[in-house]
Amino acid sequence: MSVLRPLDKQPGLNTATILLVGTEDALLQQLADSMLKEDCASELKVHLARSLPLPSNVNRPRIDLIMFVVNLHSKYSLRNVEESLRHVDATFFLGKVGFLATGAGRESQCSVHRSTVVRLARTYRSPLLFCDPEVDGFRVPVAQRLVRMLQICAGHVPGVSALNLLSLLRSSENPTLEDL
Amino acid sequence: MEKQPGKQAATEPADSGAGGGGGELPQVAGAQAARPEDRLTLLLRLRAQTKQQLLEYKSMVDATEEKAPEQILQDKQVEAKIEDLENEIEEVKIAFEMKKLALDRMQLSTALKKNLEKNNPRTSVLMDNMKHILKLNKLIMKSHQESWDLEEKLLDVRKKRLQLKQASESKLLEIQTEKNKQKDDLAVMENSDKIKAIQQNLQMEIQITTVIQHVFQNLILGSKANWAEDPAFKETVLQLEKNLTMI
Repeated sequence: MSVLRPLDKQPGLNTATILLVGTEDALLQQLADSMLKEDCASELKVHLARSLPLPSNVNRPRIDLIMFVVNLHSKYSLRNVEESLRHVDATFFLGKVGFLATGAGRESQCSVHRSTVVRLARTYRSPLLFCDPEVDGFRVPVAQRLVRMLQICAGHVPGVSALNLLSLLRSSENPTLEDL
Repeated sequence: MEKQPGKQAATEPADSGAGGGGGELPQVAGAQAARPEDRLTLLLRLRAQTKQQLLEYKSMVDATEEKAPEQILQDKQVEAKIEDLENEIEEVKIAFEMKKLALDRMQLSTALKKNLEKNNPRTSVLMDNMKHILKLNKLIMKSHQESWDLEEKLLDVRKKRLQLKQASESKLLEIQTEKNKQKDDLAVMENSDKIKAIQQNLQMEIQITTVIQHVFQNLILGSKANWAEDPAFKETVLQLEKNLTMI
């Protein structure tokens, strides 16, 4: 299948799967490790991919959350993410997709402007997180947030759905977007 | 059978599309972290999970059933439609929250009523709390009133200041117009013919006097008298030196 669809497979019992898409392997690996270190009642599975579409020959579990990782230092990663976005079904964007921008701390090396990523996230109506993975202090909270988002998107948190979370996250973003 | 929750990480070889291309990422060994969990708790948690997931699937099914086939909309229309839908979601959420609040409030008030009927209403801690709340509310209202009065006073003072400023502005304007009028009058007067005639006469007289001065000067110099010795003489000579146009 060339297009990723949510809810097309049965969920694994007590399992939550996240797919990290990005061009920087070391970064994705670091994030994956931080996430796995987190204390979580459900079983976490982290899949890493450079770009979509994923090969269809592999048997993989149902993907609950896709995080597109954009490195603000390289335009190539942005282009890669934009290419990969085409292979995601529209129903995924109801809360099961997020954007993660890294490298915003070093303003001098940023070739991609922050507003580009913000606009991208706004077009796709998905939450945008910022992360500086080199600093350990930043990585752990981001990993915690990701784990929490993943749990909600996988349906492990009773009473909160992915769409609910999306509208919760949205209301704090919009005022700043109006200023842009 | 108790299930040991474990954690794994797996990587995907990305499909090599046009021009791009992933590679194989090495597989990471999973870390086994065992959490001590009661069987019952686990089962309850799994039950809640499955319920939530079932709810998600149901809602997706309902959503796909409802959707009527729409024609291809333009970008702006799609954006507007998405925003409308988002607003709808927000409104539904808000309505739900308010209903929940109202329900909670009703439940709380009935529980309070029952509690009050049960206990001795004079001595219960609840009555003390209520009295304290009433006292605080009175204080709040009083301080509200005071702050309101102060604000009124402030407003009055500001109004007066504004009035004073306006009065001073008008006065200054008057002064300015008066000055301008005076200047105009002066200019008009200066341009009048009488002044010109008088000025001409004055010039004539000055010239005549200057000539007379020079004549006297030359007379005195020509007489070769020593005018520096006598102070009265000196004074006369110096006076003749005065330039009349400067006066």
